[in-house]
Amino acid sequence: MTRVAAALLSLAAFLALWKVVTLIGGYPDYILPAPELVASRGARAIASGVLWQHTGATLLEVVLGFGLGAVAAIAAGIALGKSVLIERVLSPYIVAAQAVPILALAPLLDIWFGGGLLARVIICALIVFFPIAIATMVGIRSADPLLAEMLRSLGAGPSQVTTRLEIPSALPVIFGGLRVGVTLAVIGAVVAEWAGASIGLGVLINIANQGLFDTPLMFVALVTLAVIGLTFYGLVLAVERRVVHP
Amino acid sequence: MPRPRLAISLLALLLAACSPAASSGPSASAALRHVTLLLGFRPDVQFAPYYVGQQDGYYADAGLEVTIEHKQAPDVQRLVADGQAEFGVADATDVMIARTSGVPVVYVSTLYERFPVAIIGRKGTVPSDPAGLAGKKIGTPGKFGSSWHALLALLAAGGLGEKDVTIREYPQFNQADGLAAGDVDLITGFRNNEPLRLEAQGIAVDLLTIDQIAPLPGPGTIVGQALLDSDPDLVRRFAQATARAQRAVIDDPDLGLQAAKVSVPAIAEDLDTARAVLEATTVLWAGESGFGDGAIDVSRWRKAYDIMRSLGFIDGSVPVEQMIAPSIVGGG
Repeated sequence: MTRVAAALLSLAAFLALWKVVTLIGGYPDYILPAPELVASRGARAIASGVLWQHTGATLLEVVLGFGLGAVAAIAAGIALGKSVLIERVLSPYIVAAQAVPILALAPLLDIWFGGGLLARVIICALIVFFPIAIATMVGIRSADPLLAEMLRSLGAGPSQVTTRLEIPSALPVIFGGLRVGVTLAVIGAVVAEWAGASIGLGVLINIANQGLFDTPLMFVALVTLAVIGLTFYGLVLAVERRVVHP
Repeated sequence: MPRPRLAISLLALLLAACSPAASSGPSASAALRHVTLLLGFRPDVQFAPYYVGQQDGYYADAGLEVTIEHKQAPDVQRLVADGQAEFGVADATDVMIARTSGVPVVYVSTLYERFPVAIIGRKGTVPSDPAGLAGKKIGTPGKFGSSWHALLALLAAGGLGEKDVTIREYPQFNQADGLAAGDVDLITGFRNNEPLRLEAQGIAVDLLTIDQIAPLPGPGTIVGQALLDSDPDLVRRFAQATARAQRAVIDDPDLGLQAAKVSVPAIAEDLDTARAVLEATTVLWAGESGFGDGAIDVSRWRKAYDIMRSLGFIDGSVPVEQMIAPSIVGGG
């Protein structure tokens, strides 16, 4: 079975299960709408342009937040991996920051950074940072010490050891972190929008849920977020295949 | 038989069970009728009448054993409509939208006779006329809920629209922090909450209230249409017991404070603020002619219905008569 056929079969099974649950449960539309109702509501949201506006805003936040978070995390991960001192000094802060619920901190970040796109990108980047930084650190440390010693004996400096050996050998692990990070970026964008935004899929969820009591529209936004997450995950996977397993 | 929950449905599917999930009927031996009350927001001294009703026997006298749970505001309406809880407290303007959107809830008694939302700003910066809002940067939780409805109603009363002001959204309801930080000129907020918080920080404030400009009904008790149809006596007993407890708190706020301390122990950490919030809240429970024991002001509802319709929040497909049940505790 091809990958596409398997995916389509899986999607069909999921939709069938969803439909059966709505039938057995007898849920009203405001509790659990049936898939065809969500599809029909989604078509209306697309036709009216509402879905595009909100999706575009969230996509921008995901791309910028993931980009900023990933670059910062890889740089930090390399430093943490190469220096035990840096790891000892910074790790407690990084772990502690990860343990703080970002949902509680986000409203303050939103005010500190002016409540615009910058604030949302920073919130998104903070959520992305931890898994990528830790993966990078682990990957850097997984480089073969004998190969590093050999490079040094051939006259390679520390930066050459890093760029020629440690980073290439860390790539599979770094990409593992990027795959986790890119899905978290979608969550991060929504959390950032819930902290303060006028547009975005997180805002649409709030409006549909709290403002319009339009549960099918809320599901449309959720499905769109899932599609964005799957798409970005697939993109990272595709890049990984080209870079790590050419 | 209650409808199976999602987990039961999934379990039934996974196990390919032939029979539906077992029913769980009420205890036959219970002397009191057990009911669930859903409150939005979070445990707070503002809900003192319900705590007094529980602890001081008002509900027991009405033959009720009440369990209180806190949920997100939109979930209160959904769960009550679906019969997963008997009673809830919701904003009247949200009830209009929910009912129009096909969520079968009915507003059966008034909790706040004065609309609690106001425009709040630093002293000397709040216009006395809604037309003065033009050009202001206003913080509000989002484009939903009673704060948003009140803001648009005020703007409309001043001949303004959303485009005439700058909206800054604070979905975590921290717009008071935004005002304190100077991010915005004005905020929407509850008269018994944000002004007290800001004044506690040393920020003197002024208010622009909506009652005299665009009358909107305040939050109240809601039930599902099915429960109202099947057992109006239960609904009446609950509403009347709540009103009695509410009147007791109006007469003696300390009674409410003590009950709230039991239900919300954190209140004890700052009793002065809790007392101030409760006293400000009791002012909002009573209208110009005093406390009405939960009666619904139908005339106010009709005016609010027209306002909500003119603002585009509802389309008029569900008449106001289906949204309220003034016969439960009276009103006209």
